[in-house]
Amino acid sequence: MKAYLSVFRMRFRLETHYRGAALGGIACQVFFGLILVALYRALYAGKPQSMPLSHVTTYVWLQQAFFRMLLASDADLMDKIRSGGIAYDLCRPLHLYGFYYVRIMAQKLMGSLLRAGPMLLFAALLPEGWGIALPASVPALILSLAALTLGLCCICAMENLTMAFTMRTLDQRGIQAMMNLLMMILSGNVLPLTLYPDSWQRIITLLPYAQMLDAPIRLYTGETAVPQAPAILLLQAGWTLLLVGAGCLFWQRNQRRLIIQGG
Amino acid sequence: MNTLKLYLRSMGILLKCQMQYPLSFMLQTLAQLIMEGGEMLAVILLVDRFDHLNQWNAGDLYFFFGLMSVTFYLTECFGRGITGNFPYMVRTGQLDLLLTHPRGILTQVMCSAVDPRRISCIAVGTVSLVLGSRMAEVRWSPQNILLFAESVFCGFWLVLGLFLIEAVLCIHSVKSVEIANALTYGGRSACQYPVDVFPRPLRMLFTVIAPFALVMHVPASVILGKPVFGWPAWAAWISPLSGFAVFGFMVFLFSRSMRFYRSAGS
Repeated sequence: MKAYLSVFRMRFRLETHYRGAALGGIACQVFFGLILVALYRALYAGKPQSMPLSHVTTYVWLQQAFFRMLLASDADLMDKIRSGGIAYDLCRPLHLYGFYYVRIMAQKLMGSLLRAGPMLLFAALLPEGWGIALPASVPALILSLAALTLGLCCICAMENLTMAFTMRTLDQRGIQAMMNLLMMILSGNVLPLTLYPDSWQRIITLLPYAQMLDAPIRLYTGETAVPQAPAILLLQAGWTLLLVGAGCLFWQRNQRRLIIQGG
Repeated sequence: MNTLKLYLRSMGILLKCQMQYPLSFMLQTLAQLIMEGGEMLAVILLVDRFDHLNQWNAGDLYFFFGLMSVTFYLTECFGRGITGNFPYMVRTGQLDLLLTHPRGILTQVMCSAVDPRRISCIAVGTVSLVLGSRMAEVRWSPQNILLFAESVFCGFWLVLGLFLIEAVLCIHSVKSVEIANALTYGGRSACQYPVDVFPRPLRMLFTVIAPFALVMHVPASVILGKPVFGWPAWAAWISPLSGFAVFGFMVFLFSRSMRFYRSAGS
């Protein structure tokens, strides 16, 4: 356990070194957020919906703030798989799946914490109807934080599964690109899931992609009421366990038939 | 003319290279299709929920979306050298090699890459254009066709010019500067919707600094029969030329910056 903790800590520190890149990323994300909010404001002016505008703007800002969590992050590992450098990791006295799981988690957590802080502050300072609204209630905030944590575990498991696929095909661009795109569309980054047709939402919200950011955001805005929260958290935990289990099995099988590339 | 021949020849060779890995090519093209399809799905779902955006109906919105994606991805396809590879060439020192050849740097960079995977994005854009012009009942008179062609052509140079901003910054800083993407990718995301739906500061940005509105929205709105800004129809023939102005200005800045280029390669 101690070994995994120190892998996590090392990766965490590495991420804090690129503060300049983080600043540029924040500026870009803020700009995109402003464009989207302006668009939804214009749409709402034409035809108001049952869901208040402030829920949509809050959704947009939270998505932009935690965008980094969705992004596939471990380019290193991809290179290692293709160049054969993964042989060094196989020598470590650690469970390979766990090793990569904590690396990815540290990267995603630090990357998004660095960006989310300043961005949410900026969004909170924007005038009414542009920025982020306060959480529906204190319990809602606490529950959404819990859901965000489970969501993070779910994303990391998903990404590890993609990596396992890459080890099979050795072409990171095809499969990974496709998984990333599905993620962007089905997790509510391109269009908030709350604006999808209601009949679609019933199915989409059950998929693992919706557990990552959509579920916490809905708890935050109060779109999902507090009494429904346990069911949501249970669904998230269920998907996480399933994805971790599948990932573990896949990695184990890969390890058995692994052929190191290069030399 | 010689330059054009050189460019076409390079394109031929590069395309042949890419086709050496047909499965990878097909998977990546499919991924692009899903990406652009997802963007279009977002527009369709928004139209489904909100019916219209100010004075723009569903057909108009599909038309604007199609115009943007056809133009933007034509640029990403044929201008890949500038839109994608340049920062990498600076960082690895590959650019030094080009300096020894008896041709302009920009020409050589343009000849260095092509991205045929974008064909699926262009296809999505075309579908959206056809759908949009059907629904908005656009009359394709020779005049309208010519105006449309001018808009796409000038848009190509505008987008290329905006990508040159990143190239110029990159010459000075070596690292690729993501903030420059705000104008290119941000402009694409914003200006796939008509510019007059945005508040004043954004409208000014996309009319004066990155004139997507002048190059695309003014002519497109005339074709749709709803001139934006209340400008007369003849203005639509002149305003797209601002795309060349941006490109020209950026080429000037680029050649000035190249004087400060220091190799980073080993």
